[in-house]
Amino acid sequence: MTYCNKIGETESDRTKQTVARVLSYVFLGFVTFLSLFPIVLLIINSTRSGDQLQMGFSLLPGSSFGKNFSAAIGASTIDLPHGLVNSFIVAACVCLVTTYFSAMTAYGIHVYDFRLKRAAFNFILVIMMIPTQISAVGFIKLVYSMNLRDNFLPLIIPAVASPAIFFYMKQYLESSLPMDVIEAARVDGSNEFATFNTIALPMMKPAIAVQLIFSFVASWNNFFTPALILTDAKKQTLPIMISKLRSMQLSGNSDLGQIYMVILISIIPVVIVYFFISKNIVEGVALGAVKG
Amino acid sequence: MKNFKKNIALLSALALAGTMLAGCGGDTTTTDSGNAGGETTTKAADAAADTTAAADTGAAADDGAAADDGAAAAGGYEAAKTAGTGALTLPEGEGKVFNIYCWNEDFKNYVEKFYTAPAGVEFKWTVVPNEGGAYQTALDEALLNQESAAADDKVDLFLAEADYIIKYANTDLTQDVTKLGVENWGVGYDYTYNAATSTDGVLKGVSWQANPSMFIYRRSIAKDVLGTDDPDEVQAALSTWDKVDEVAQKAADKGYVMFASPLETYRTFANNSNVSYLNGDKFAPTEAFNNWVAQAEKYVENGWSKTYGLWADEKQALMGKDGNMMCCIGPAWYFNFCMGTAQEQTSGDWGICVGPQEHFWGGTWLLAATGSDNNAVIADLMNAFTANEDIMEKILTDAKEFPNNTNVVNKYASDDSYGLEFLGGQNHIKMMAECAKNITWDPALHTQYDQTFNETLPNSILEYLQGVCDKDTAMNNFYISLSEVAPQITHD
Amino acid sequence: MRKSKIKSISYAKWGYIFILPFFLVYAVFSLYPMLTTFYYSFFENYNQGLTTVGPNFVGLNNYINLFKPNEGVFELLVYTKNTMIMWLLGAVPQFVFSLLLAVIFTSVRLKIKGQRFFKTVIYMPNLIMAAAYSMLFYVMFSEVGPVGMLCKTLISEDFVVFQSVGASRGVIAFINFLMWFGNTTIMLMAGIMGIDQSLFEAASIDGASGTQVFFKITLPLLSPIFVYVAITSLIGGLQMYDVPQIIGGTDGVPNRSTRTLIMWLNNVVTGKAKDYGKGGAISVLIFIITGVLSFIVYKNMVKEDKTLKASRRRKKNDLL
Repeated sequence: MTYCNKIGETESDRTKQTVARVLSYVFLGFVTFLSLFPIVLLIINSTRSGDQLQMGFSLLPGSSFGKNFSAAIGASTIDLPHGLVNSFIVAACVCLVTTYFSAMTAYGIHVYDFRLKRAAFNFILVIMMIPTQISAVGFIKLVYSMNLRDNFLPLIIPAVASPAIFFYMKQYLESSLPMDVIEAARVDGSNEFATFNTIALPMMKPAIAVQLIFSFVASWNNFFTPALILTDAKKQTLPIMISKLRSMQLSGNSDLGQIYMVILISIIPVVIVYFFISKNIVEGVALGAVKG
Repeated sequence: MKNFKKNIALLSALALAGTMLAGCGGDTTTTDSGNAGGETTTKAADAAADTTAAADTGAAADDGAAADDGAAAAGGYEAAKTAGTGALTLPEGEGKVFNIYCWNEDFKNYVEKFYTAPAGVEFKWTVVPNEGGAYQTALDEALLNQESAAADDKVDLFLAEADYIIKYANTDLTQDVTKLGVENWGVGYDYTYNAATSTDGVLKGVSWQANPSMFIYRRSIAKDVLGTDDPDEVQAALSTWDKVDEVAQKAADKGYVMFASPLETYRTFANNSNVSYLNGDKFAPTEAFNNWVAQAEKYVENGWSKTYGLWADEKQALMGKDGNMMCCIGPAWYFNFCMGTAQEQTSGDWGICVGPQEHFWGGTWLLAATGSDNNAVIADLMNAFTANEDIMEKILTDAKEFPNNTNVVNKYASDDSYGLEFLGGQNHIKMMAECAKNITWDPALHTQYDQTFNETLPNSILEYLQGVCDKDTAMNNFYISLSEVAPQITHD
Repeated sequence: MRKSKIKSISYAKWGYIFILPFFLVYAVFSLYPMLTTFYYSFFENYNQGLTTVGPNFVGLNNYINLFKPNEGVFELLVYTKNTMIMWLLGAVPQFVFSLLLAVIFTSVRLKIKGQRFFKTVIYMPNLIMAAAYSMLFYVMFSEVGPVGMLCKTLISEDFVVFQSVGASRGVIAFINFLMWFGNTTIMLMAGIMGIDQSLFEAASIDGASGTQVFFKITLPLLSPIFVYVAITSLIGGLQMYDVPQIIGGTDGVPNRSTRTLIMWLNNVVTGKAKDYGKGGAISVLIFIITGVLSFIVYKNMVKEDKTLKASRRRKKNDLL
């Protein structure tokens, strides 16, 4: 590759390449702007007072950050500290449950041969595409009949069955879990659960890391299901709280500065975590390739 | 090997895509948005009709109001006056958790500020915003499951607005409050009791407020347009709709707009209608509605009104120091809670007058849920927020609302030194008291679907006024919404 | 191979044990609610205020009604059309941008520096609550917002973004685009990186230009993953709900042009009438539409799965 470049390269090629690079950077600059602008705007808005915000738009930060912050923390409609804790509990449980059981299901289908294996796999592929919203009616009825309203369990338990995460895990196993390892463990007398927990799981670490993050974020941002079952203000999660504030605002009843602050507080944990582990997310996609 | 790599990359990408998709499906973070403002409403008062006080519900206890529980029972109004002071001791067997359903913070704030709860009771608030009907949905769900709910989860008290109070008052899901020791003590405005009375004559709830709705005008603009900002003189200039039109034209000539939204006057018209939208299960636009549409068309066409929604943020800008909106219309809660920018920037530059037609808008009622295990607290709370004059006075002076207690209202109405800073020192109580007397409530004019009629219908028409669609399409859009709210309702 | 097969037979029960939690939970919390929902589609069952009508068995009436115009509007068609238009408006630029970015990132010639930074940043919007995004954009495009005011200056004094059908849909599509282009980029990158490098080398030796390489090699070889991305994006698009709900409100203003299928379903089912019959029927129709598309994806994936299996076998053989 390198040597043929040297041979074939002419003056005009080099100019062309420079132009292409410049254009690429311009384009990258543009998409970076698109991606960052809303977040910058959110930060600016969180420093402006509700009245300034209602009066119109400005890129100049205001001086109401402190005021908005205390309004957000002390808001009477919502219980933000509880919201953060609730969101964290639910998201943490969901991401642990969903990754563990998805890995387990994937392991079950990948490692063992059984009559319904193919059928089970196909079934999961099919249900992967079904929108959750279409079962809302039945879900509400079920949760109410189980007396699990205002309880986190109906949010956490269903995470056991996450077809998409299962699929990812399955594909990862295909590429990175040689059967020989399992069989070696069996020879050593390890029981099947122990083999899964102590040998397979550690080998799946990179995939697990990626899915922990994705499922945490998805749960953290999830509104639809929690909104169906969490009515107690002390039990609600952040997206419901934002939605409540927004509703109040639509009926002329609230303070925009406070709303932006609540949004900011809600997304900051996600953004911070993301920047620390972004390497894993961005490269998670190429996991299989690296291993191969 | 290379091929293998390729496939792996492809598949992990697919897998990622799958996960993403799942994320996308589950990640429906949202708020109902849109135009409908969830505020209160009510039909109403024909200005001319002078049904003065003294209602069938009557003053003082005439039928066995001596309920077994409830501190206020025996002694009538005098006893009721001491409600909410914490004097009540919980009777045996009363629950310790008092559950209240409501859609905003107003009442919660009042309770926390003004009310002393009996020892040993914990208040639990369930606040569900009104937007998109979410409040009623949650409330219905809770009320219908009341029987199977654990004692501490049962709804004890809930709030309802004029637009749908009838839905709850007319069912067994609400209790006869007179049996708990709450009455029309004869000091509240009669319509507030009639509104909470079921069709078979049982009082199901009470309200702490009355809501005569006023023209709220910007004084400096009135001076510029009319040469005066005196409420009486401004009223003279706005006493009929024709005169309002003239003022609107004058205002437009000077670069102002009369209203920010063509919906501003909707309640005035609808409230003065003498027929309901609904006849049995059949919907028909009322004459009042058609008149409003005609007026709205005129105002938009002439530039007398902007075409914002009733609760649009843009409207706030028009109330600010550089705003050019001359008027808006609303009761005390409106200028206290919905004019934030004005409170901040143009406080003192506003005044109120009656306008061409008296009417009322909104109102919040407290209703007692059947199956409550806290009847004594319900009675205490209801009496506290109607009969306890200390609390009602605080509602007036502190919360700046118009309380549903004529003793308190009269005291301030006759006090010339009382005035509201926001209104340039004007004694709004005095002016509102005159209107409040005239408000009537005719059950025949109210349906449980009034919220849809009074919010969704004008909002659909707003799209026509904005030029988004023609009038027929706007009506059809409303009919579709109606079919989602009440599939059984038909129309021509 | 044969040896391992004999062995695994004795372990078959473990397979069932390992997948049991998944299927149990799925049956209780997803399948059963879904079947309940479908069951209701054959009943008249809604609320009139606090009284519930039904459930009365009405056969296929709910379905028949959905295929009849309501107030002169064939709702199913209108909302499907709205959904598809908004999806297309967002998906087309999304694919173009993502493809361009994927090529830029993977290009050996361009040697882009700071790739990690750019990838991190463009992926970020995907992590943020759609509601938060939508609210920000709503404010920006509103009449007092900067873009809204700019439109007034550029287009006409009377132009209001959220009163224009095209512009409202455009804003919604733009938000969706912004939230998903980073994600698509990364998927396409993986696709490109999976292409046999020797092909590029050969092309380079033959003196192919960058454009030629792109159209003759990258694009054709990327087409399977591209199809997959497009179809999954379409299915995601069919589920579009949160962004239009904030921008257009429950009714999808202006003039119901931003109301999507799921918004419709949601309003019917959780609105005041709680029309479970109609809602159930809508659910079934959405299910069918999604089902057809899933089938295509599924076919696609099974094909990939087989190639993968084949390559695994090859790999094992290589090792032996």
